[in-house]
Amino acid sequence: MIGVILRKELLELRRSPVLLLSMISLPATVVLVPVLLLAWLVHAAPEQALAFVQDVYGVRAPGGVTAGVAAVLARNWLPMFLVLPIFLPIVLAAQSIGGERERRTLEPLLATPVSTASIILGKSLAALAPALAITWIAAALFCLGVDAVAGGMVLPDAAWLFGTLVLSPLLALFGNATAVVVSSRVLDPRAAQNLAATTVLPLLALLVVQLAGRIALGPRFYFVLAGGVALADVVLIRVAVRLFDRERLLTDWR
Amino acid sequence: MAAIEAHGLGKSFGGRTACRDVSFSVERGEVFGFLGPNGAGKTTTLRMLAGLFAPDAGTARVAGCEIAPGRPRGPELRARVGLLTEAPGFYDRLTARENLLHFAFLQRARDPKRKTEALLERFALGDHADRPFAELSRGMKQKLAIARALVHDPEVIFLDEPTVGLDPEATREVRGVVAELAAEHATIVLCTHHLEEVERLCSRAAFIAGRLVAIHEMRGQQMLRVDLAAPFQPDGVRPLCRSLRVSGNTLLIEPLAEVPEIVAALVGGGARITRVVPHRDPLEDAWLQLLAEARER
Repeated sequence: MIGVILRKELLELRRSPVLLLSMISLPATVVLVPVLLLAWLVHAAPEQALAFVQDVYGVRAPGGVTAGVAAVLARNWLPMFLVLPIFLPIVLAAQSIGGERERRTLEPLLATPVSTASIILGKSLAALAPALAITWIAAALFCLGVDAVAGGMVLPDAAWLFGTLVLSPLLALFGNATAVVVSSRVLDPRAAQNLAATTVLPLLALLVVQLAGRIALGPRFYFVLAGGVALADVVLIRVAVRLFDRERLLTDWR
Repeated sequence: MAAIEAHGLGKSFGGRTACRDVSFSVERGEVFGFLGPNGAGKTTTLRMLAGLFAPDAGTARVAGCEIAPGRPRGPELRARVGLLTEAPGFYDRLTARENLLHFAFLQRARDPKRKTEALLERFALGDHADRPFAELSRGMKQKLAIARALVHDPEVIFLDEPTVGLDPEATREVRGVVAELAAEHATIVLCTHHLEEVERLCSRAAFIAGRLVAIHEMRGQQMLRVDLAAPFQPDGVRPLCRSLRVSGNTLLIEPLAEVPEIVAALVGGGARITRVVPHRDPLEDAWLQLLAEARER
């Protein structure tokens, strides 16, 4: 049954070009803006860029001016690629329950013998799959762009690989589960999306603090984050199934 | 065994009683009507019987599945009943075929693809099967929703307001579909506030106004209206009638004997008959009277 729900959700998404476009616009910005900025910086004022990197981040950039600046700045951009897998599924997951109710498709769905867990997992996978695919494509394009600017292979390094391959799916599940929990209680899909989107704020704060050179997030931080997020995922999925009150969803209009 | 047996079903939402004391039974192959004004508790009762809501009070057995307060509404019941919801509730961007196939899989229909194609043909939707649902006419949408309610060959079919919001042509089409199902001896509970729908399609109807007010039998097809040219004392034909009412120059007869025998007895007794026609029970009168009584209480 999970597969049936997943297939339907993906079919609907494929037929919604505007929704797909809205999901692609943020990753496109996240890739293009820093790569272009980096390209301009290392070509227009390489010495100043190197001095800036050494001053702010307190590191000696390895492998020459261009590669050094590219490596340091690009690595500090990683948290942005951890925000994407949280943010992207929220767009879909916030619509999952409230949207069905708004379109009056929820009652026929609940009238079938499908279990609550199957509905939630089917819809979650449908939100996760495109979000992760877009994140990974964006990450690959970012690495290619940075490497092209640096004139050698700077990314991906170990932190990037761990971040995109391990942390991203966990964070995507976190964003999705949060949106499903919110969506099954706050039935207006727009309100659910806005509320669920606040979960990206801590990561955005980390990004800002790291870019400002106040902290340096190392491998230990990312390992701890992965463990914490995995635990939160399990709890949130269980909460989502428990909070899915079929009667309330059909009768409460708040 | 009856297809549906309900005993004292009741449901409240946040202290507001949606319905109470709903007791009735529906035989297999019967078309049973649910009549009531808006907010009378018809849809709530249907949702309890279809396994969407658990009752707060009472018990029921639907298609062999028990329903009781606190008992989880299992997938078993939902797999045995078909529910036409008030709104068609399909996905706009999916085609009619994709929508129906999706629900055929969800309802665990046997051979979903074959069943989907068969129903599309049966409801004359084959030529429109590859159009997005949003582009279908209201009548087509409703027929597709009825097809969904049948896709898993349910033992009991619940139809919630099947003609609400439809234009006359679509209404006629949908009523034709329901009449077809009735002719096939499907067990149907038809929830509506159109009296003529109930008169035409149902053998019995429950009047609901917050609680079950009465169950009315449709005996219209079995009654005769005899118009006379002059007043007549019909005592001689009473043994041939289950009931006989005299109203001016008109006799309303619920016959025990064949119609020609009754007519012969009337003519033999001196009655001057101008017309003999089948007569329907005045359901509207009964309905309005019951409603007024319910409001007084």
